[in-house]
Amino acid sequence: MTPPLYIALRFLSHRKRALLLSLSGVVFGVAFFICMQAQTQGFAKYFIDSTLGSNGALIIRSRFEPRQVGSLVPPKTSKTNVAHRQYFEGITNASEIMRVSRQFSDVVSCSPVLRGTLSARSGFENATVDLFGIEPGLHLQTTDLAHQLVDGSFDDFRNKPNTVIVGSRLAETLNLEVGDTVQLLSPGGQYRRFGVAAIAKSGVGSVDSTRIYCHARVAQTLLHKPYPASMIIYKLRDPDRAPALARHFESLFQHDSVSWQEREQNTLHLFLTLRMSAAITVSLVILLAGFGIFNVLTMTVLGKIKEIAILRSMGYQRRDISSIFLWQGGLIAATGSLIGCGVGALMSWSMSKIPIHLRGLLSTDYFVVAWDWHHYVWAILLAAVSVFIASYVPARRAAQLPPVATLRGSSV
Amino acid sequence: MNGEVCLSCRDVERYLGEDESRVHALRGVSLDLEPGTIHAVVGPSGCGKSTLLYILGLLDQPDGGSVVLGSEAVSHLPDNELSQKRNEFIGFIFQFHFLMEDFTAQENVVIPMRRMGQLPEAAMCERAAELLEAVGLSDKLQRASRHLSGGEQQRVAIARALANDPRVILADEPTGNLDTANSRRAFELLQRLVQENQKALLLVTHNPAIAEACDWIHEMKDGRIVLTHSRR
Repeated sequence: MTPPLYIALRFLSHRKRALLLSLSGVVFGVAFFICMQAQTQGFAKYFIDSTLGSNGALIIRSRFEPRQVGSLVPPKTSKTNVAHRQYFEGITNASEIMRVSRQFSDVVSCSPVLRGTLSARSGFENATVDLFGIEPGLHLQTTDLAHQLVDGSFDDFRNKPNTVIVGSRLAETLNLEVGDTVQLLSPGGQYRRFGVAAIAKSGVGSVDSTRIYCHARVAQTLLHKPYPASMIIYKLRDPDRAPALARHFESLFQHDSVSWQEREQNTLHLFLTLRMSAAITVSLVILLAGFGIFNVLTMTVLGKIKEIAILRSMGYQRRDISSIFLWQGGLIAATGSLIGCGVGALMSWSMSKIPIHLRGLLSTDYFVVAWDWHHYVWAILLAAVSVFIASYVPARRAAQLPPVATLRGSSV
Repeated sequence: MNGEVCLSCRDVERYLGEDESRVHALRGVSLDLEPGTIHAVVGPSGCGKSTLLYILGLLDQPDGGSVVLGSEAVSHLPDNELSQKRNEFIGFIFQFHFLMEDFTAQENVVIPMRRMGQLPEAAMCERAAELLEAVGLSDKLQRASRHLSGGEQQRVAIARALANDPRVILADEPTGNLDTANSRRAFELLQRLVQENQKALLLVTHNPAIAEACDWIHEMKDGRIVLTHSRR
């Protein structure tokens, strides 16, 4: 143990009240930071997992062709390119696109979907629904639909083409349970009856409140569509690669391709803003703790002027003196961070047990928290930087104190 | 004075304060300290005794002249090197003992050894215990220094000054805060330790009885040594 560390420990152990005050600032700053980040990122991660599990990481939609614009040279920017496209609804060669895209190592699986909007009726309740006509086997590989079922069986749905899976909030709206019958109104004005095979809860409000899954062929008949798929959804090994792959697919297949980041841009920005806002608020708590430590150490330096002069007279160098005070800050930061991480983890865990009935953008019955070691590293770094800055000024001041001026106080 | 000189100064000048309050505190002071000798510096308040002591102790730097430790001129070394020399070669004793109040007697004596870093923890504690035994405090090693009497605290300060086996001990009114009996006891202790260990001791004192018991007396007035006489 170095002499400054030894002396720092002894100084700290004899100022218990000041030590506890400084320590508690760091502990609560770190704990709040971890807890807030766990919570805000928890909701964001829950949303991302849910949307990836329901809608895939990448979607291929309508075919497009460049619009003829006379002899003008086509502009280079993508936005202007989009303006010069002519779109054609539906995907006519879905099987071929899926066969080619499966060759890409990033693609885990893909599934064609025929999507359309129609009305549903059950008893006296009506609702506009988002119909997803799917190939059950492929959709199961590409999405988390099987895990999202809260009631009923996917096998029942797979084996009975005249059944549907209904979103949980839509089921509540239409008073539907597994085994009930729901009527879907085709564009021709005829109602068709379907049995409810299962109820699914994705956690994403817009999905759970509108979506009904049926077999693709049934959907094609119901929606009177000439094409078997209006989009293909993809599951990727690394969802972060979706934007790059979307650009590549768009130029390769000449179909509109959208990554999940682009699709959920507004919601992701909202979560990012919330996280930053929470991080800034809690960082202020840590900075406040740093200010407390600055005050405590400044008072310590003032109270230890005599001791500093004694140490200098015994041969302690200026850097030894500053080290004593930097060590004090370092010990407070280290101990406070360690305890703060524990308290933060405990607070996050406790938070995840608090029941809430959230039915909006997300559907959840408990606070969602994310367990991510990055939160702990950031909290520790923030505390370390804050405490270092708070300790540096008093430490420097202590090192610059002229010992003779203090020692002269004892004699002339 | 003849023989080996362990600390000396030549023509030391020192100004204190700035501008209008500037004082010429030392005016060409020269002094030699030999091992095994005790020097007393006496004089009225403000004559420059403590200033001389701090310059000899490398805590302050002269504006003119030189300080030589052994055979090395040290007065213009950088602060870090001066600290190093102070740690190795000089022991300080102050009037108000200046102990670390929260530390035990033994911990106080260990502090200079810790900085030197030549002994393991156990050896430092053992040496501190030996030094405290030599000053008659073997039964108070673990007592917090704030709980010791004035005389006991000064004896801890003496033990601490000897911790790194320095060549020179500089004492600024070491008995100034003690009663007559404790003053005599502390001085006799210093005298014995200096003679047994061949240290050089320079002490600033207002106590004529103590000055009379020293080998050399240097009388100072207005920043000068006006008279030096030997008691040998």
